[in-house]
Amino acid sequence: MQYLVSVIYDNAALATPEEMAAIDVFNDRLEAEGHWVFAGGLAAPSSATVIDNRGGEAMVTDGPFVESKEYLAGFWVIEAADLDVALKLAAEGSKACNRKVEVRPFL
Amino acid sequence: MVASLTRRFGDLDIAEEAAAEAFATAVERWPADGIPPSPGAWLTTTASRKAIDRIRRENKRGDKQKEAQRLYDDDPSEPIGAIDDERLRLIFTCCHPALAMETRVALTLRMVAGLTVPEIARAFLVQETTVGQRITRAKAKIKAARIPYRVPSAEDLPARVSGVLAVLFLVFNEGYLATGPGTDPVRHDLTAEAIRLTRLIRALMPQDGEVAGLLALMLLTEARRAARVSASGELVTLAEQDRGTWDATLIAEGHRLVRERLAAAAAGVAPGCYQIQAAISAVHTSARDVRDTDWSQVVALYDQLVRLDPSPVIALNRAIAVAELDGPEVALAAVDRLEDKLAGYHAYHVTRADLLRRLGRSQNSRAAYDKAIELAGNTAEIAYLTRRRDQLG
Repeated sequence: MQYLVSVIYDNAALATPEEMAAIDVFNDRLEAEGHWVFAGGLAAPSSATVIDNRGGEAMVTDGPFVESKEYLAGFWVIEAADLDVALKLAAEGSKACNRKVEVRPFL
Repeated sequence: MVASLTRRFGDLDIAEEAAAEAFATAVERWPADGIPPSPGAWLTTTASRKAIDRIRRENKRGDKQKEAQRLYDDDPSEPIGAIDDERLRLIFTCCHPALAMETRVALTLRMVAGLTVPEIARAFLVQETTVGQRITRAKAKIKAARIPYRVPSAEDLPARVSGVLAVLFLVFNEGYLATGPGTDPVRHDLTAEAIRLTRLIRALMPQDGEVAGLLALMLLTEARRAARVSASGELVTLAEQDRGTWDATLIAEGHRLVRERLAAAAAGVAPGCYQIQAAISAVHTSARDVRDTDWSQVVALYDQLVRLDPSPVIALNRAIAVAELDGPEVALAAVDRLEDKLAGYHAYHVTRADLLRRLGRSQNSRAAYDKAIELAGNTAEIAYLTRRRDQLG
């Protein structure tokens, strides 16, 4: 079972060196224990471009598809047996990156 | 049976529907074929087959079917005693912290205690459609997010248990003042189930003060059950109950638990809400006559409770005790301050009606009784309130 652990944040500040170091330790642990699938940090929402090609011609729009105070700053995709395992890992991830996270299962 | 099917198939919907189908088949077949030698086992086996049929029908992917088959084969017969374990698992799943509190309550009442959606809606003053949606969404989340079906590990248990206790207390309360014209005024099945489940939790966590407190509170309330409804089917208030019919064994057990928690409190462990409410109940059940009740002790305990839980319902109960200590006028002033929050709660109007009656304000009292009768869902309480109203001068 895979879960998306979204990192939610409200400004464009990058992770501090301390936060980066804690994230590395956490990532190593995910790999060592077989939970690692993929992870990444994202550039600011202002760097996003929206494409809508449902109407025959691709519409290109600048900016995120929804403006919000808090947004997706990065994510992990983890492998976990059930939600309890995923929530425990997410709690550690939140501590490591020093940000709020949301856990959502893949179909 | 739903609990055991859920464990096998990991899906509340499938378990619930399979159980219902098995009962329906039994109703159809047993009159013609005769009752099987072991009806319980027959139902479980039939329900398991129905569940597997349904999974086969629904699943295009083969892996789930294999999983169900494997789970089914792993557990061909159910050892006695495993049922309790399965109930615990079901409780902890229904009370998972990833679900909203009101969802946990609704789901447990539906899945563990077997209440209907209308009963749950009445008990919590919400729309039936709201309850139905909560349950449907919760089941979908349990499935999609794979909320596990198990008792949490020892390290996670304390954090998980308070949500479970809240739910069990609500189940008990619904049993003790059951709603709906078609139900018994006191549903012993629900109070007994709540007590049984709380005992299970206590066996799991014997050192937990709030578990002991809640069990004591339930026992001391259950002890008064026989005195609670009169021969003519009216609710009997605490003050008017025949205390000789109270269950001395349950009271003794409840008092033992309260003493255990008082000793812990004396040793510096701050009591939680259930322990304080159990202590209040212990004061009541210690008085052989209502006139012997130590009301100053009751009010002092309510003061302690209000500091922990400043909810309007607690404030209402405190006011009822204040009426005995400081008189109905003081109490009425306190009750009237709760109008904004409790105007839709029948007990608010019951309390006002009684206080107004004692103050000789018959006309106001009558109006409050009317409102209370309109909002009350318990048949015995409606009978009692109607008589009281009609006796007003």
